Amino acid sequence: MTTEALARPMARPLRRISERSGLNTAAGHVLMVLLSIFCLFPVYWMLASSFRPANAMFETSLWPTTMSLDNYTQAVDAIPIARMLFNTLVFSALSTVFQLLTGILAAFAFARWKFPFDKLVYTAVALTWLVPFQVVMIPNYLLVAQMGLLDNIIALILPNLAAALAILLLAQAMRGFPKEVMEAARMDGARNWRILWEVLVPNLRGTIASLAILIFISTWNEYFWPLLLSRTAENSVVQIGIQMFMTAEGNQWGPLMAASTLASLPVLLIYIVLQRQVVQSFMKSGIR
Amino acid sequence: MADLAITDVKKSYDGKPVLHGVDIAIPDGHFVVIVGPSGCGKSTLLRMIAGLEDITSGTISIGGIEMNDIEPSDRGCAMVFQNYALYPHMTVRQNIAYPLRIAKLPQSERDSRVEQAAKILNLTDYLDRRPAQLSGGQRQRVAMGRAIVREPDVFLFDEPLSNLDALLRVQMRIEIKKLHKRLKATSIFVTHDQVEAMTLADTLIVMNAGRVEQIGSPSEIYRRPASVFVAGFMGAPAMNLLPAKADADGLVRLDGVADGIAIAQADVAKGRLLTVGIRPESIVLSTEVGSGLPATVDLVEELGGSRVAYCNFAGHEVAVVLPAGDENIEGSTIWLTLPQNAIHCFDRETGLRLARSTPNGRVLRAKNLSEAAP
Repeated sequence: MTTEALARPMARPLRRISERSGLNTAAGHVLMVLLSIFCLFPVYWMLASSFRPANAMFETSLWPTTMSLDNYTQAVDAIPIARMLFNTLVFSALSTVFQLLTGILAAFAFARWKFPFDKLVYTAVALTWLVPFQVVMIPNYLLVAQMGLLDNIIALILPNLAAALAILLLAQAMRGFPKEVMEAARMDGARNWRILWEVLVPNLRGTIASLAILIFISTWNEYFWPLLLSRTAENSVVQIGIQMFMTAEGNQWGPLMAASTLASLPVLLIYIVLQRQVVQSFMKSGIR
Repeated sequence: MADLAITDVKKSYDGKPVLHGVDIAIPDGHFVVIVGPSGCGKSTLLRMIAGLEDITSGTISIGGIEMNDIEPSDRGCAMVFQNYALYPHMTVRQNIAYPLRIAKLPQSERDSRVEQAAKILNLTDYLDRRPAQLSGGQRQRVAMGRAIVREPDVFLFDEPLSNLDALLRVQMRIEIKKLHKRLKATSIFVTHDQVEAMTLADTLIVMNAGRVEQIGSPSEIYRRPASVFVAGFMGAPAMNLLPAKADADGLVRLDGVADGIAIAQADVAKGRLLTVGIRPESIVLSTEVGSGLPATVDLVEELGGSRVAYCNFAGHEVAVVLPAGDENIEGSTIWLTLPQNAIHCFDRETGLRLARSTPNGRVLRAKNLSEAAP
């Protein structure tokens, strides 16, 4: 090998950074568009079907050829949907508030204090997360039945007052919060209560917001527990109402899609209004 | 303002001792710097003074009152943390006013104290910004503002400048010193940076492995280090430390120096193993053949105003500070003279300074600061 050959750079194609990143971006966009279509199509189909008249229900055209609000009228007439939506809202909102409240307090204790068997207790809390709902369903049912709370919205909320997910997620977020800031607050004269509500909570807004949305949506979609407890349509939630359109005689797809659209609206509204905050908070708290 | 007394303070984590009995007395209004390498226990000691760490044994008193079981906020101490520890969701104004709000001071009093602190620290234009919108130096000033408004008896600084760039660090150092001159509050400043320690301190405390190695004024510690550790830790470039042995005639001879040149007088038993120290700036260098001890220059570091030559001297690496110049002496043989009055002798086993290593020598050990202070 000559010294000239050594001095020469290795022969390999030199690509410009902009070209390469441009290609990557385009490929990424195509993939994201395909995934978005895959996720959004069922929602669109539900919305489109809710406006199709009964005789056009099984049309395969993407856009309804004829539009009608009949399905909505039928849904409203068949079930007390407004009352059910209100019940669902109360159930979801109170469950969210209580789970956050108990979660914040418990997480603070786990994150900030050392107490006997703290790790054991924390592990026990984590393990409750792994216990399937079906295991605790019967004991919970018997408990609320003995309390005389069957067919009552309070009975729906009671087992949802605290949840392991909220405690674990918040404890983790609190452990990640700079210890020095809490110590600075302590030096400034703040006691634990003040440190929690005036220093920690305002700085964990992202985690709390994403957790609140997770709890709200999962409670909103809850079906089996309300099904067990509900005796009357007036004290039931909207998911039970939707199920009422699925009968042994056949499914009433039109009203079912209309009721489903109505049931999805509050969650969609929350998402549209809080879109930026939701995405930011999920990104910040690492929930994707 | 108040004096501070630390008496036989010990700290253990799970039975493992990290502080082995610290005794310090800090007179009212002093600016004391605790310096030492990472893990020497200096921050732990500061946090114990603040009340953020429990004391395993011993007592800490401020203004004559024992503080061992007193809440941090009731000790009359304000602390400035290394990473500023500002409240991210509050504005500068809210951050500075927070301790006053907790103390339930009237709004007008709060406002005036915040304005005054902001004026002292040049923060008036930034009062409505959040910490994320400030530079490192500004954030540090806010942290100091939050400490000032409380009008504490004692200021505690936990490596507050270590997150700043070199230029800002110098500026903030000067600001802290000016602030102390203005407020005259007892201040304890923890750092591992010896330049910060030397420039800020009225009194310097050098710590190592959970013990106080030496207490004294910066110049005292620099000129008369009490141990090999202090000698090696304080000063940049570090003091040259060379193995030596006491000879029969009471002279000290450096290991590896074949002709047995006596370099200092020491009142030590024959055969005692020693460590001899000499500052790089104290060594006299000559290129004239035979005008001292021969050494080979391995490397020269350019510092602008001066140069540091790293030489091979009898198998030991020795740093020598040279005046600025352009001549290339790397690889050449030079001649070193070690002035007797610049030589420090330490016992190699204990690491302690030998009392009579230089004329009129006086060994400083950890003791009451009020005695050690000039």
